Amino acid sequence: MANDLVLDTQIRDWVLAPLSLVMVLIGVLRHFVSKMMRTTPNPDLKAVKEGQVVLRARFLKAGANYIPARSFQMRKLYYNNEENGLLHVPKGQGANPMQAQMLSDPTMAMDMMKKNLSMIIPQTLTFAWVNFFFSGFVAAKIPFPLTQRFRSMLQNGIDLSSVDVSYVSSRSWYFLNLFGLRGLFSLILGEENAIDDTQRMMQTQMAMQMGGFGSDPAKALGAEKDGLDLVQHDWALPKSEQRAESVLRHLLQT
Amino acid sequence: MRLCRGFHEAFSGSTRSGHLGRSHKTSQSRSVRPLLQVFELPGRTREESGAVPAMVGANEERELERLEKQVEEGGGGVVEYLALLRKLKQRRSTVVATHGLQLLNKPSARSKLGSDLWTVYEQVAIACMDVHALDAAKKCINALDTKFPDSMRVGRLEGMWYEAKGSWHKAEKVYSNLLTENPSDTVLHKRRIAMAKAQGNMTAAVEGLNKYLETFMADYDAWRELADIYTSLLMYKQAAFCFEELILAHPTNALYHLGYAELLYTIGGIDNLRTARKYYSAAIELSGGQNMRALYGVCLCGAAMNQPKSRGRTEEKESQELISLAASVIMKEYKEKAPSKVGLVSSILDKQKQLAAA
Repeated sequence: MANDLVLDTQIRDWVLAPLSLVMVLIGVLRHFVSKMMRTTPNPDLKAVKEGQVVLRARFLKAGANYIPARSFQMRKLYYNNEENGLLHVPKGQGANPMQAQMLSDPTMAMDMMKKNLSMIIPQTLTFAWVNFFFSGFVAAKIPFPLTQRFRSMLQNGIDLSSVDVSYVSSRSWYFLNLFGLRGLFSLILGEENAIDDTQRMMQTQMAMQMGGFGSDPAKALGAEKDGLDLVQHDWALPKSEQRAESVLRHLLQT
Repeated sequence: MRLCRGFHEAFSGSTRSGHLGRSHKTSQSRSVRPLLQVFELPGRTREESGAVPAMVGANEERELERLEKQVEEGGGGVVEYLALLRKLKQRRSTVVATHGLQLLNKPSARSKLGSDLWTVYEQVAIACMDVHALDAAKKCINALDTKFPDSMRVGRLEGMWYEAKGSWHKAEKVYSNLLTENPSDTVLHKRRIAMAKAQGNMTAAVEGLNKYLETFMADYDAWRELADIYTSLLMYKQAAFCFEELILAHPTNALYHLGYAELLYTIGGIDNLRTARKYYSAAIELSGGQNMRALYGVCLCGAAMNQPKSRGRTEEKESQELISLAASVIMKEYKEKAPSKVGLVSSILDKQKQLAAA
């Protein structure tokens, strides 16, 4: 019977508590190490320029009606002409900017490696350490029953089907700590800590889906260009005189 | 022009000591002013600290005034005052320099600042340069330099210090060294342009700004600055182009419409005058009729458009009503705010009306 299993208090003192403590300490250490190794990204001028072009074109699209027709046409031509317009992307260029960037910019690969190293090395080491010292312990018991499916989650390292599922093996405790301490870390280290691996992975994945790192500049430029082509210029100012008159009349009456 | 000040000060703030007393005074008299902060905090993105000018809300303004008074009377609260200034991106150099230095000279107060200490050092260093207290500024910079030996921001401060001293060559050397390391640092580009401007080398400033805008073309403070410089060089068409950019970015800002209208009016010609009047009307509309310059502008346009030189081509009937309305609003305002000048203003307006109606 599972209820017969009594856990030694020594296990609590020498397995459960140290394991949790070590996990927390390692997390804190990793935070500071990765903070030390982090280099501030240095955006290259071309990318900055592309972003700014897109921004300016967007402003033109939004505010087109506030400038005279001639000024608008002039700007539109400047952005959209097929030879050297700012938004015009020559064919074949920017096919896969991400890869090209990776190849030309070793610091980027370096950065990624640093991040990965700071993530993988401590994890491997702690896992080896836990495996070596604490394998095979039943370290804790959770106070509610669970179905068999949780066995692989909670009793990793114990190949006994007769033990009740609510007992937690030491290796599983390690995993629970590894994934469950994020809340505690964001509490003690602030929101932006290096521990949030999963979150970061999600972010990079999202970025990948959106095309390259962040966004594909060529695509953004093309979209702006199409948008700008569609803008109908309708100068808003001719009506401003009537509106100004009504404003002034109102002012005089009060 | 009232609006251009913010950028101006940020630009030329620490270059020379002479005019800075004035800049402090003007900052007090103005309630709202956009100010491009030359210094960004490390954690901040560019968008937060650069592109969008900081506007000061009425509540914060009041709080700031209260704190300033308290600080001036020696009632404490210096730390809060400095923090609020940083938050609002204001630059009241005289007060900051005196009281900030006192704060930094007290070891107990220093330790209380915690991690804010270095930001305060930076703030006080800039304020000291503004009031030409170069030795004090140097001390602050040295303190920062020992703490952050390879820092970009400290390097910038050193460059500014040379600038404040007037050693342009040394400053230029510092800036270009930093720029090779980090070519996308907008502040450094701006400092170099400001330096050219401070030396009176307007063509170099224009060149620098154009080159800067080629890359950072969504930096609307820079467009504003360029418009100013072009205006000072009497290159109105170029300035008008810059104002068009500004209107595109901030279509609801009455001051940009006003500035554009003024440039068009200055360029002259019946078409430009007609457009100018439209933009003056837009400025009136957007400011709710509160902007005197726009009101006067409408009257002036009316007078100028009817001058014999251009009258032959006035095909459409220009509405006289706007002009008379603007004139009566001007009169009303003068009667309320400055009754002694009513006679003078009314005679001017009458003359203009005669011109417009003639």
